[in-house]
Amino acid sequence: MMDVGRHPRIKLFAYSEVEHISGFIGNFNVKIRKKARYVIEDECTACGDCTKDCPVVVPDEYQQGFSSRKAIYIPFPQAVPSAYILNMEECLGNNPIACGKCLEACEKKCIDYDMKDEIIEVEVGTIIVATGLDVYDPTELDEFGYRSYENVITSMEFERLICAGGPTAGHFVRPTDRKVPRTVAFIQCVGSRSGKRGNRYCSNICCMNTIKDTLLLYDHYPETKCKVFYIDIRAFGKGFEQMFMRSKEVGVEYIRGIPGEVVEDPVTRNLILTVENTTTGRVEQHEVEMVVLSVGMEQRSDFDRLQKMLTLSTTGDGFVLESHPKLKPVDSPTRGVFYAGCVESPKGITESVVQSSAAAARASIILNAGRVKIEALTARLDTSLCNYCGMCARVCPYHAITPPDRKLGIYPEIIEAACAGCGTCAAECPNDAITMRHFTDAQIMAQIDAILEEKPLEKIVAFACNWCSYAGGDNAGTSRLQYPPSIRLIRTMCSGRVDEKFVLYAFQKGAPLVLVSGCHFADCHYINAVTWTQRRVERLWNKLERLGIRPERLQLEWISAAEGQKFAKVMRELEELRKKVTPEEVQQTREILRREAEKERARKAKRVEALRSA
Amino acid sequence: MPEKAKFKCLRCGYLYEDKYTPGVPQERACPKCGSNSVRRLEEKSTSPGNR
Ligand code: SF4
Ligand code: SF4
Ligand SMILES: [Zn+2]
Repeated sequence: MMDVGRHPRIKLFAYSEVEHISGFIGNFNVKIRKKARYVIEDECTACGDCTKDCPVVVPDEYQQGFSSRKAIYIPFPQAVPSAYILNMEECLGNNPIACGKCLEACEKKCIDYDMKDEIIEVEVGTIIVATGLDVYDPTELDEFGYRSYENVITSMEFERLICAGGPTAGHFVRPTDRKVPRTVAFIQCVGSRSGKRGNRYCSNICCMNTIKDTLLLYDHYPETKCKVFYIDIRAFGKGFEQMFMRSKEVGVEYIRGIPGEVVEDPVTRNLILTVENTTTGRVEQHEVEMVVLSVGMEQRSDFDRLQKMLTLSTTGDGFVLESHPKLKPVDSPTRGVFYAGCVESPKGITESVVQSSAAAARASIILNAGRVKIEALTARLDTSLCNYCGMCARVCPYHAITPPDRKLGIYPEIIEAACAGCGTCAAECPNDAITMRHFTDAQIMAQIDAILEEKPLEKIVAFACNWCSYAGGDNAGTSRLQYPPSIRLIRTMCSGRVDEKFVLYAFQKGAPLVLVSGCHFADCHYINAVTWTQRRVERLWNKLERLGIRPERLQLEWISAAEGQKFAKVMRELEELRKKVTPEEVQQTREILRREAEKERARKAKRVEALRSA
Repeated sequence: MPEKAKFKCLRCGYLYEDKYTPGVPQERACPKCGSNSVRRLEEKSTSPGNR
């Protein structure tokens, strides 16, 4: 931290918040709110004279509320910059000055009650998101008595109590009598691995953290006995299993089972844990002097603001989604934005350092090169066809299109460096003003033509996205799974590219059945483009019904790259549906759509005419 | 605000009711056959707000 603060090429914005981010890789503009700290940072020598006289006493959040601080304080001893902060919400008042003691006490006169928040703008080429985590709050789990009993603490609180810089100067004492406990129980997976309360995922570090804590305790207090209640111990890192063994050797008792109840003996203030020991199959009771709840990790509760600013996607558990879990594990789907640490998933220090180094390296490659290479799959705009509707800018998951302004005659602009090539804009543009490089309308229509050239009644036209459903087909193939040969795949980068007109064209050309397939929502490789696919298919179902065509003939499926089995199963099901479509039905559809196409052509000609003359 | 809506599976024909938030696309799977070809059936309503 100190090194970062002193580094000539690192500018640290402490006590600040990101307000707004715009731009794209190489050209991000970030607005930062530097909050007023009411102490002139560069002048303050952290002598602490001010804090001595401050009459306001509040719980110290850094010490988990085990000790107190004043309204003017330094958050923690190693804080960078090493300067005091005045919390104006806790201060007795600055307008008018109600107390002014700190101002009097500060010899250097670095206290400024009139200081205001500052908005700072910075231009950066890349962004690394390393926002950290929140710790699970166990108050909802009544059975562990965290709210009722003082001697039940969390693993975070344990850290403060055992730390030499903590409120007890490293003397581990139990809160009720300030005595070193002779028995301590650790309860694992609090808030983790639960389908009902807390989170479903494993928080990754809690097992090892507890093992470390027990060893620390034995080191400091050899006579203290530790019991660990667990589901299973996950000690899979380098040297971790040895550490686990060592804790067993020094006498830590491991009991497989999570207590269903913790109650306090009102006289001794000891805690009695009732647990089903799943190794012996017996219900047991254990009396201990203190309980430590090994709490899990969560995404920060205020993360959604930043998520929106950077158009980041998250998985169901709230952690950010990587551009590719194996090949681009520190890249976000938005170019030039990288991840480090627990924002991506719960992880320990080593893994966080590895990931941060990787993110820094990825970012510096771009900065050093000064230019980026992108795949030639981006969108291109023909302004002569654009009527400023702004649909493209609305649907782009990457904010890669600047919104048009009809009044000022400003067309949308596609920022190619930010465009990921999903094709959603091209599919949604009502005027066909956007062309996708290498996935043009003409190219896709030509594939439909080729598929349906011969025996169209025996074919199913299936649109498959590059990353998931097409790869799911590959998976089915390499696993030698059988599926009917009637399926003909057309690959698009994203299902968001599948234009309404492709589907209608396939029906018009005699396709009995059409499938649109893409990634599951949580796996979408283009942030949320898949939601536009869903909307479009729903629109199409309504349209087909209105035209007198059975909506069942347009099918939708989300298939991941790993779901070869599902791919084959879906294709078999579709084949059954195809067999039920009669030649008469197909003929009737073609007739309906031919008439529709004629009408549409006339409408379009009028539109183009109007646009051109405008 | 989530409300209830009727859904139809366009693969197996199964009809069911489920929660639905207007304007928020959601990944759906038929409770019977697992297909994602699930269509929300619009209520034929005469109320002016629901056209
Ligand atoms: S969607 Fe098409 S017509 Fe509308 S603003 Fe974008 S390019 Fe222009
Ligand atoms: S292709 Fe996708 S990413 Fe590119 S501009 Fe269009 S909507 Fe945005
Ligand atoms: Zn079904």
